[in-house]
Amino acid sequence: MKIKKILLSALVILGFTSFSGIANAACGKISIANMNWASANFMAEVDKVILEKGYGCEVELVPGATMPTFTSMQEKGEPDVAPEFWANAAIVELEKAVAEGKLHSINKAPITGLGEGWWVLPATLEKYPELTTADAILKRPDLFPHPEDPSKGGFHICPPGWNCELSNRNHFRAWEMESKGWKIVETGSAAGLDGSIAKAAERGENWFGYYWSPTALIGKYGMIAVDMGEYAGKDNWDNCLSKPEQECANPKKSSWVKSEVFTVATDNFKKSAGKDGMKYLKKRVYPGPVMNGMLVWMGENQAEGADAAVEFLKTQEDVWSKWVSGKAKKAIKASL
Amino acid sequence: MDFLNKIPEMDRDALRELKKGIDLGFKDFSRAYGDAIESFFDPLLYFLIFLEKLLVTSPWPIVIGVFGLLAWIGSRSIKLVIGTMICFLVIGYFGMWKNCMATVAIISVSTLVCIVVGIPIGILMSKSNRAEKSILPILDMMQTIPSFVYLIPIIMLLGIGKVPGLLAVCIYALPPVVRLTNLGIREVDKEALEASEAFGATPMQKLKSVQIPLSLPTIFAGVNQTIMMALAMVVIASMIGVKGLGIPILQSISNQYLALGMMNGLAIVALAIIFDRVTQQYGQRIQKHRGQKK
Repeated sequence: MKIKKILLSALVILGFTSFSGIANAACGKISIANMNWASANFMAEVDKVILEKGYGCEVELVPGATMPTFTSMQEKGEPDVAPEFWANAAIVELEKAVAEGKLHSINKAPITGLGEGWWVLPATLEKYPELTTADAILKRPDLFPHPEDPSKGGFHICPPGWNCELSNRNHFRAWEMESKGWKIVETGSAAGLDGSIAKAAERGENWFGYYWSPTALIGKYGMIAVDMGEYAGKDNWDNCLSKPEQECANPKKSSWVKSEVFTVATDNFKKSAGKDGMKYLKKRVYPGPVMNGMLVWMGENQAEGADAAVEFLKTQEDVWSKWVSGKAKKAIKASL
Repeated sequence: MDFLNKIPEMDRDALRELKKGIDLGFKDFSRAYGDAIESFFDPLLYFLIFLEKLLVTSPWPIVIGVFGLLAWIGSRSIKLVIGTMICFLVIGYFGMWKNCMATVAIISVSTLVCIVVGIPIGILMSKSNRAEKSILPILDMMQTIPSFVYLIPIIMLLGIGKVPGLLAVCIYALPPVVRLTNLGIREVDKEALEASEAFGATPMQKLKSVQIPLSLPTIFAGVNQTIMMALAMVVIASMIGVKGLGIPILQSISNQYLALGMMNGLAIVALAIIFDRVTQQYGQRIQKHRGQKK
């Protein structure tokens, strides 16, 4: 019901936006999904500036969220581009739409080094450089004392109710962490999880637990992903690790499932933006540290994606100049 | 005219610097004193863990028996004792025993802390008008400021877990006991006070044997309110990692688990009703006692 409502309102908004304005002869009218989290917001704003100034498109940003935006793109062909689309949620439907030629997943990795998993703080690795793998860390619960029971190691998991809470609890069993002297730290909420990292980093304490990138915290504290070894197969992940504990009797330890993040565009984008536009989206790959750095900048300056886009285009020319043609580069630089 | 249409605003950069300055100042403070403050609260943490372990690991018939006994001591009503025991049995039967015990532990300890801190403050307020004037706005702030606002500094200072949760609960639940202690002592009959003065009672004696006994029912109403407000904070406390009935509620909020949320919510209600009835009955009994003496 709720999804339907969101969808409907999204469609109404789309309906309004798609009939306003006149098509630009050089490129045409394009709408870009402006997702409701910081990195996607930033990417949408950068795409807007580059496509407008460099390629003469007329770009409209449309508010979005993963599933409503995807459904709308698939059914109505609007918005034209989803810059940072987390495809795990709809991989089957996406593949189908791509096969039908309705959608194109242009860029299969718009941000490098992204994903979920276990992380530690860099200060920990400076002191104990051997702790790069999960196996090595799990042998040293004494370095990560649990706040309520210092004799055990504290393993920070996802807030209650998140899907990753289930997988972390199953991982806890799969890696036999209890017998290795570990205990789960309930984080309670996203604020609690973030706060526990921030506190540990500011105080120089060790921290071990679940997090994901691209995020401001990863960038701000330079957190380092833990090597969790081999991925133990789709069946183990889909039918056990991501299920409630009682439905997952024999979890096998595994690295985190790969997060499929694509830049997805509609057929309309291919037609109106043409080869140049497609080429740009294909080449547009943000190195992970650059993205995290921009998120930190946004947090520190309490800035919006639009401010961050200008800042990025001004200061990181060597990153984005590789994405665009020489002519476009000149035009973008002139517009700043 | 421009002045009238646009409210004078601090320069954006200056405002940002101010915010950054506050944040950094607090971070430095927490870096310098965080560990000391944390170890200051250690005894409280150990007591909480001890109580929770005691409740969870003791055989359940003993725990329920003790709860029944406490209900009896408080209320002297066999109906309430039976009701209490049935409630705990049902909570256990529906698989909420462990969480419920964790909640009982944190609520009891935070009520205790509130009483130990709150009653002396209330007495101080009743003795001095200046103290009352300066403390009242603080109490107003504690009751109305959104808890998420003070959770941020508490996490930075103490991390996540039981102690910060306890503090968050106490900030919200402390004011009633302070207010009602103050009120109760101020409302004590002037004649009773004069009589005690005529017998040459020192201020301490006056307080101990006249004012506090006579205001006990009001103070008890404050304690009762404090317990109720502490229970209302269970879910918020869980948001910073306190185990208990709040965790399954958070799970059900994000997944729309209707039944899970309902059951745990009702368990909190059951706890609240038990605590409320027992303390109320106790308060009434003290009052009866006074009536007889009069």
